[in-house]
Amino acid sequence: MTGRRLMVGVVAAGVLLLPFFLPENGVTIATRMLIAALFALAYNLLWRHGGLLSFGHAVYFGAGMFAAIHLMRLAESGGPALPLPLIPLAGALAGTIAGVVLGFLATTRGGTYFAMITLATGELAYAVGPRWDAVFGGESGISTMRMPWAGLDFGSQTQVYGLALVWFLVGAAGLHGFAATPLGRITFALGENEMRLRALGYRTHLTKTALFAISATVSGLAGALLAVANENVDYGIFTGVNSAQPVLQTFIGGAATFLGPAVGAVVLTWVGNQVSDMTRLWLLYQGLLFVAVVLYAPDGLTGLLLREREIARRAGPAAAACRVALGTAGVASLAFAVVFISEAAFVLLGEAYAMRQATDAGRWPDLHLFAHDWPALSPVTWLLPLASLLLGLALLWYAGRAARPASEATA
Amino acid sequence: MQYVIASLLNGTVFGLLLFMVSAGLTLIFGMMGVLNFAHASFYMLGAYLGYSIGRITGFWPALLLAPLLVALLGAGLERWMLRRTHRHGHALELLLTFGVAFVINELVKLVYGPFAVDYRMPPALDVTAFRFYGLDYSAYRLFIGGVAIVMFVAILLLLRLTRVGLIVRAALSQPQMVEALGHDVPKVLMGVFAAGAGLAGLAGAVAGAFYPTGPTMANYLGSIVFVVVVVGGLGSLEGALVASLLIGLLTTFTVGLDWTLADLFGAFGLGPWASGLGGLFTLTLSSLSGSLPFLIMLLVLLIRPSGLFGERA
Repeated sequence: MTGRRLMVGVVAAGVLLLPFFLPENGVTIATRMLIAALFALAYNLLWRHGGLLSFGHAVYFGAGMFAAIHLMRLAESGGPALPLPLIPLAGALAGTIAGVVLGFLATTRGGTYFAMITLATGELAYAVGPRWDAVFGGESGISTMRMPWAGLDFGSQTQVYGLALVWFLVGAAGLHGFAATPLGRITFALGENEMRLRALGYRTHLTKTALFAISATVSGLAGALLAVANENVDYGIFTGVNSAQPVLQTFIGGAATFLGPAVGAVVLTWVGNQVSDMTRLWLLYQGLLFVAVVLYAPDGLTGLLLREREIARRAGPAAAACRVALGTAGVASLAFAVVFISEAAFVLLGEAYAMRQATDAGRWPDLHLFAHDWPALSPVTWLLPLASLLLGLALLWYAGRAARPASEATA
Repeated sequence: MQYVIASLLNGTVFGLLLFMVSAGLTLIFGMMGVLNFAHASFYMLGAYLGYSIGRITGFWPALLLAPLLVALLGAGLERWMLRRTHRHGHALELLLTFGVAFVINELVKLVYGPFAVDYRMPPALDVTAFRFYGLDYSAYRLFIGGVAIVMFVAILLLLRLTRVGLIVRAALSQPQMVEALGHDVPKVLMGVFAAGAGLAGLAGAVAGAFYPTGPTMANYLGSIVFVVVVVGGLGSLEGALVASLLIGLLTTFTVGLDWTLADLFGAFGLGPWASGLGGLFTLTLSSLSGSLPFLIMLLVLLIRPSGLFGERA
C-alpha cells in the first residue's frame, strides 16, 4: 500500500510540476485549471460535509478577486504594499468576511431555502456590482499590474503558476485537514442528521456558518489567485454562469470523493479551453453533460471509475475493459450526434446562413462543419448523426446490461 | 400624485405577474418538496414559444398553444427525469432542475440568438385604457393583471370546490392513503407539475409581449420569484400572493425615487457631511431598486425565517 501511495505521490508531483516546462500559453491554462480546482474543492466542502448546495459561490470568489485587485492597485500606486505572494491571503480574508455575514443569513434555514438564498445573494451581488463604481469599477472593471517582490518580477506566467501552485497546495491541504479536526467531524454529522446534532446540544446554526465561512475563505483565496493571474476584474464575475461553474464541475467530477471536484474542474477547464475557438456552444454541452451525469451517474466521473475498478476486482479485468470500451464508444457516438445536431442548428439559425441563403436565391447552401461541407438537404447529412445517436444508445444500453449480472451478484 | 397612482397600478400589475410565476413554483414545492429551478425557464419558454407560434397563428391562438406546449415539457421533465432521480433524494432533484434550467437558457440562446426578440402585443390591446393626469395608461397592463386574477380565482376554485382539487389536496398530505384508495398518485404529481409549468408558460406568453423577451429574462425573474417564495413562505399560495404584490409595489415605487442616505442625514443637518462621504451614502434609492427584493428577503429571514405565511421551521 505504501508503495502505491508513493507512486501516486510521484505522479501527482510530476503533473503539478509539468507546467514549469510548458510554453507560455500552456502555463496560463494550467494556472486556470489549478484555480478552478481549488474553487471546486472549496465549493464541495459545503456539500460533502454539510449536505448544503450553494448556487451563489461566485460572490465569495469575486470578493477575493476584488480584494486582491484593490491591494495590487495600492501597491502599484506606491501606497502601503503587501508583497504579491501574500495578496491571496487578503482575498481569503475578504471571502471569510463575506462568508460569515451571508453564510449566517443563508444557513438560518437548511435545504431548499439555503439553495434559494444563496442563489438570491448571487443575484444581489450582480445587481449591486454596476452601481458602485468605487468598489467594482463599473462596466470596464479594474485593471492593475503585478509588482515585483524580492527578486521575483512575476512577469512570466511560470512564476504566476508557481505562486498559484503553492497557494493551491496550502488551500487543498487545509480543506483536507479540516475534515480531521473536531469541527470537521461535527460538520459531517450536520449533513447526516442535523436534528440529532441539535439534540446533543450543538449549536448547528453556528456550525453551519463556520463551515460556510471556511468554504467562502478558500473560494476567496482561489478568486485572489485569478485576480493575480488576470490583473483585471469586473462585476461580471458575479454572473450566474460563474456561480454555476463550480456546481457543474463538482458534480461532473464526482462530489462523493475529496478530489472528484478537482478532477471535474481540471478536465472541464481544459476541454473548455481547447474547444473555445471551435464552438460557441460549450456551455450548452457542459449543461447537457451535467444533466446526463445527474441522471445516470450521480457519483460523477470519479464515481464511475471507482465502480469500474470494483467490477474489475470482482469480474476480472477483461470484463471491465470490455465494459469501459463499450461505454466509451457509446458516449463518444452519442456525443458526436449531439454536437453535430447542435452545431448544425447553430449554423442554420445564424444570421450569416440566412444572408448566404438570400444571396443564393433561396437555395440551401452547404453547412460547413468539422472541416467538411455538408449539403443541407441531403439525407446523408441528417442520417449520419441519427445513426450515431442510435448506435450510441444501443452501445450504452448493452454496456449497462453487461454490468447488471455483476452488480446483482454482489447485492 | 400622478407618480403615486402610476406606480401603484404598475406595481400591482408587476406583482400579479410575479404571482403567476411563483404560484406554480410554490404549488409544486408544496406537493412534491421539489424546488424547481427550471420554473423561470418555463416562463421564458412560454414567451419565446408565444412569439414563434404567434408568427404563424397570430397572437390569441399562440396564447393558448404556448402554455400547453410548456405544460407538456413540464410533464416530460417530471415523468422522464425527476422521477428517476427521486429515489436519490431532494438534493439531486434540485441539481437536476438546476441543470435543466442551465440547458434551457443555452438552448434559447442557440435558437433565438443573444438579443431580445420582437414579441408584440396584438393591436387590439395596444391602446390606451384610460387617461389620468395627462398620462396614457396601456390596456395591455390591465390585461396582464386580469389574466393573473382570473388564474388565481380559477386555481382557488379548482382546489377547493372540485373533485380533482380534493384528490390533489389529499395527495398533498396523505399520498399513501390516496394511493390505497385507488388513485394514481404519481400521475397526480405529474399533472400538478405540468399545470405549474403551464402557468409559468402562460405568464411568459402574456408578459413577454409587454416586457422584453430576451435570454436574460429567466435569470432576472427567477431570482425575484425565489425571493417572493421565501418571503411568502414555501408552499403557501396566499403568502405568494401577498409577497408578490409587496415586492412588485416596492420595486416599482423605488424606481423613480432618487432619495439617498445623505438626504436622510440632511433632515438632521448632517447632509453635507454625509454627501462628502460618498459611496453608500450617495447611492440613490432608484439605483438600488433592483436589489431591494433581496434586501427584503434577508430582512425577512432575520426576523421571521419561515416567511410571512410559512409554517414554523
